[in-house]
Amino acid sequence: MQLHQVETEHLHPIETVDDLKFYLYTAIQLEHATIPPYLTAMYSIHPGTNKDVYDLIRVVVVEEMLHLTLAANLMNAIGGIPDLTGEGFVPSYPTYLPNGETDFKVGLGKFSEETIDTFLNIERPPLPTDSLKGGSKHSFGLTNTKRSRKLLIPAFKSADGDELHFYSIGEFYRAIGDGITKLTQELGEENVFTGDPSKQITPEYYYSGGGEIIPIYNEEDALAAIRLISEQGEGHDGGIFDYEGELSHYYRFQQIKLGQYYHEGDEPNAPSGGPLAIDWDSVYPIQSNPRITDYPEGSELKTAAMDFNIFYKNFLEQLTIALNGQPDQLISAVGGMFRIKEMSYQLMRNPISDDNENTGAPTFEIDAIS
Amino acid sequence: METYQENLNVFLDLSVVLTDFSSYELQGTGQLEAYYSTIIDVIGESNMVEVLDAFTLAKTNANGNETELEKQIRIQLLSNDKLGPITRNIIKMWFIGNWYQLPNIWRETYGAYEKDETFVVSAIAYTEGLLWPTIGSHPPGAKAPGYATWIDAPQISKV
Repeated sequence: MQLHQVETEHLHPIETVDDLKFYLYTAIQLEHATIPPYLTAMYSIHPGTNKDVYDLIRVVVVEEMLHLTLAANLMNAIGGIPDLTGEGFVPSYPTYLPNGETDFKVGLGKFSEETIDTFLNIERPPLPTDSLKGGSKHSFGLTNTKRSRKLLIPAFKSADGDELHFYSIGEFYRAIGDGITKLTQELGEENVFTGDPSKQITPEYYYSGGGEIIPIYNEEDALAAIRLISEQGEGHDGGIFDYEGELSHYYRFQQIKLGQYYHEGDEPNAPSGGPLAIDWDSVYPIQSNPRITDYPEGSELKTAAMDFNIFYKNFLEQLTIALNGQPDQLISAVGGMFRIKEMSYQLMRNPISDDNENTGAPTFEIDAIS
Repeated sequence: METYQENLNVFLDLSVVLTDFSSYELQGTGQLEAYYSTIIDVIGESNMVEVLDAFTLAKTNANGNETELEKQIRIQLLSNDKLGPITRNIIKMWFIGNWYQLPNIWRETYGAYEKDETFVVSAIAYTEGLLWPTIGSHPPGAKAPGYATWIDAPQISKV
């Protein structure tokens, strides 16, 4: 389990299988990093209210779990080691994603208009190819900006030393797909897909979780998985639906923003379906980006928040075991997800203190646990 | 508003003593206000306040002594003809999520309130009942542990 120790802080064009492993480590980390913000917003909704919104977020978060599993299958297919346990794997929230000139924050917060704006940023479609700023010589969605902050997708260093960033997550996956094709051509498929096939998560271990899991044994499977991830996120070919006819994540969230459902055949930004009922007040007033240190010393809330982090750390360890040759472990790991939900609700229903109007929430401070 | 919050806090303290679950666990069910307002809705605020006042008196008399508090709860609340059935209803509500119609003798003596019928407080009250963690089970049909997890030991939260 050493992938997270890769020295480089930058991505560069994929030249070797090891480069590809670094991209895939980043992909697994990125897919996971979206889950705590989505779960936090979803569980902050009073159960039984805002059903439309809850279901919309739930579909997206389950698909992110599928993407994570597909990225792990990709990693296993090329002989890498999916590892969800390394230091820094779970980011410290708020974390950042690149956003043209400035970065945008991805934090843990209750369901609110601001939170939905963040979700739209995470899932946004790629820039049209003719509107690329700064890096027009680069063909795959890189924008040219300098920053010092650690981002969820590391900066990309071009051959002439320019520091660039992927504008959208879809463009990042496109680079992975291009890298796989290039390596397959150069080295031969059997020298790229060297992983142990028994480590693949197959449909018998993964059911009704946001689409079909694709076991990956060759280039064709790999590209199919990447296509599924990209299009569930951002739609097919600039449209609002993916190739299976499902609304992409960006437009799912946009329905909440606009208060209206998309209908088959709609154009982007102009939904024509029924209205979406939203009750912004039926939400637990959780503290945004909470830390264990925000909770009173000696309080049950603090103990419960620490228990949550320990549970979550063990959960990531169990997932890592499942993804490294014991796929049957995935089934009981899924059972653990229901505990995560219950523990989240308990935290979110307890006021931080008598003189604090906010309630608690999971802090996801995993690295702090020894 | 302040009185409401104060009364709610007393109701929480009382519930901790009656159920032996902690304040974190009780608030973690999300049902505190739902049960408090159910009581007021069914039998009126004055009866609720009477229960809370009796509890406050019990606490004062116990003066921080736990054994004495238990005794005082029996004297001031559980053995009281009027407040006993209400107190037992509070316990039942926390554990089962139901309001049970008060006994006939209570209704004849203190008034038959129109809404005093047996009912489930809400769909969520059922799943959040303290009964489930007490017996080490999930509420059937809710908080499902996931397909095939029946081969593993149960993972039951305290609440």
